[in-house]
Amino acid sequence: MATGSGEESTSAIMDDYETLISTTDVELLKRAWRNEKAAPEILQYESSLVQRIKEQIELAEQNVEMFEADSIDPLTVSLYQMDLDRTQFLLRSYLRVRLQKIEEYLFHILKTDEYLNRLSKQEQMFARRCTDDLGNHLDETVLSKLPDNYQSILKQSITSEEDDMVPVPRLDTFIICKAKQYLSSIDFEPEYSTEITEMERDLLTFVCYKFIKRPLEKGKIDLV
Amino acid sequence: MANYYDIDDILAEEEFVPVVFHNAVNGVKIDESTERGYVEQGSKAELPFWLARELHLRHAVSMRVPACFNQKTRLEMQADAACVDLRSRCPYFYEFGCKLAPLCDKTIGLLLSYSFRIRYKEVLYKAHTIAFGAATKFLALLTKEETNLYEAAQSSMVAFKRWRMGGPRLQRASILGRKRKATE
Amino acid sequence: MYAKKGYELVKEFASGEKGQLQPFNEDLVNQVIDQCAQHYLELQGLIRKMQGENVDVRETRNADHHGALIHHLALIRNKRCLMAYVYNRAEIIRNLAWKVGLELLELPEEIQEKISHSEKNYYGKHSAALQSYMADVGIDLNVDMVPPKDPYIKVRVLDDMGEGILLSDKTANLARHSMHFLKRTDAEQYIARGLMEELTG
Repeated sequence: MATGSGEESTSAIMDDYETLISTTDVELLKRAWRNEKAAPEILQYESSLVQRIKEQIELAEQNVEMFEADSIDPLTVSLYQMDLDRTQFLLRSYLRVRLQKIEEYLFHILKTDEYLNRLSKQEQMFARRCTDDLGNHLDETVLSKLPDNYQSILKQSITSEEDDMVPVPRLDTFIICKAKQYLSSIDFEPEYSTEITEMERDLLTFVCYKFIKRPLEKGKIDLV
Repeated sequence: MANYYDIDDILAEEEFVPVVFHNAVNGVKIDESTERGYVEQGSKAELPFWLARELHLRHAVSMRVPACFNQKTRLEMQADAACVDLRSRCPYFYEFGCKLAPLCDKTIGLLLSYSFRIRYKEVLYKAHTIAFGAATKFLALLTKEETNLYEAAQSSMVAFKRWRMGGPRLQRASILGRKRKATE
Repeated sequence: MYAKKGYELVKEFASGEKGQLQPFNEDLVNQVIDQCAQHYLELQGLIRKMQGENVDVRETRNADHHGALIHHLALIRNKRCLMAYVYNRAEIIRNLAWKVGLELLELPEEIQEKISHSEKNYYGKHSAALQSYMADVGIDLNVDMVPPKDPYIKVRVLDDMGEGILLSDKTANLARHSMHFLKRTDAEQYIARGLMEELTG
């Protein structure tokens, strides 16, 4: 994080600026972004974090404008601008990755409360619209032209016992992760106790995603 | 079905399996050459896996091991796994084998993991050391899965080199196809 | 008998370059749909035969039952091939909105010719859903696709784009072959559409 130059009149502004772009929040965003990119399923929406980041970006933008107006040394201004750009990129990428996961598992997300509740209100609206759009498209192009009993978008035919046409995220894919603290068997789901019983802190581990789902949700593990 | 829309999954299930019918079947032309729509109990045929599996699970047929997992292939694998032309034998060797093994012959699993271990080493080695274009003979032997791995390794190498050497990072969207020549 | 037409359709999709669209094969799609209708007729015929013989349709496992079963399996196989064809094309179309642009006009002719009427509609609706989300959240999501390095980049214009084009910090005359120093976020979309290229060194 760039520090201010020596001038008296600007150092106060610089200090304020640094507290505005709180490194803690940006690091939280980085963590949320990395986890979301690496996880096969959609994770819980970090709504208060996103709200804070949006506010901080807005304040930072105003400050950069102020610096430019006050003719602060352009190199310093561009350093702050780049920092701001990086935060904005993280936020955009975070939201983008989530939308793309929603697009990929539309039907599954909408019919599973556990996943639906991980979405923000706007994401839920997006998901509903997408499902309608895709559903109509598939219906128009294929389903409505098939024989009766075979027109469902969720079941191959009415004799199917369950919704056998719905793509589902593969939770048994392998991912790389690091524990933030030492984890023992109580941190993991009991049904996986034969597979995983502990994890050292800060050790890069290559493991099956579903085994570490619980500690990930509790914030004890970071995906890489 | 988690993979309902997965293209590779669909194509892998098109591989043929020899079967023997336990029951007679009416109203279906199993063999294109015959006119009759009737299959006798005990007759043999080659069916695509998606059909053979369902009939097998309902005890209407028994599946037999297809040619690509037979003794000849196993011997060739033991001799030199990296040189076996799996693509012409079965481009979905691993995916198909994984689906078939629990239903038909569990030893297929051993064949798959043995072959994969040896061939994967070759794939990684060649992907990182040989310039693109020079490995075409090797590539022609690879199954779909192996080819995907090879391409993934190659594209990481390319991305890494580009990151190290700099150069334009914003590109024309790949879906628009190759660059067309600027019209005069 | 073995849902060969469905297989042809999926094979055709897979044979193209990854992520590229081929023209929508309406003809083949219709053939597969016809096959499904055929299978359904045969299936019903066999069931009616069993009912006519006073056989318990649900429980009996005779030759007719197995015939009907095979027709049913071929039908859902064809359905799967059809659905996969349209669904995977829809995924590529969604990518268009992300990578190229949100307006139909922004899609080059060659692409527009390859997609069906229904696909064009789907593209329009999906773009609208994306735009609506971005407006709700107050953030543009189709810029900033690569991590920022320099706020400004050097570009060369490849296609005549006109004079007095309004950018976020200035207006520019974007004539073919001209070179400019543009804000990365301004240039991004133009580069993605092949109208400009980034210069380095």
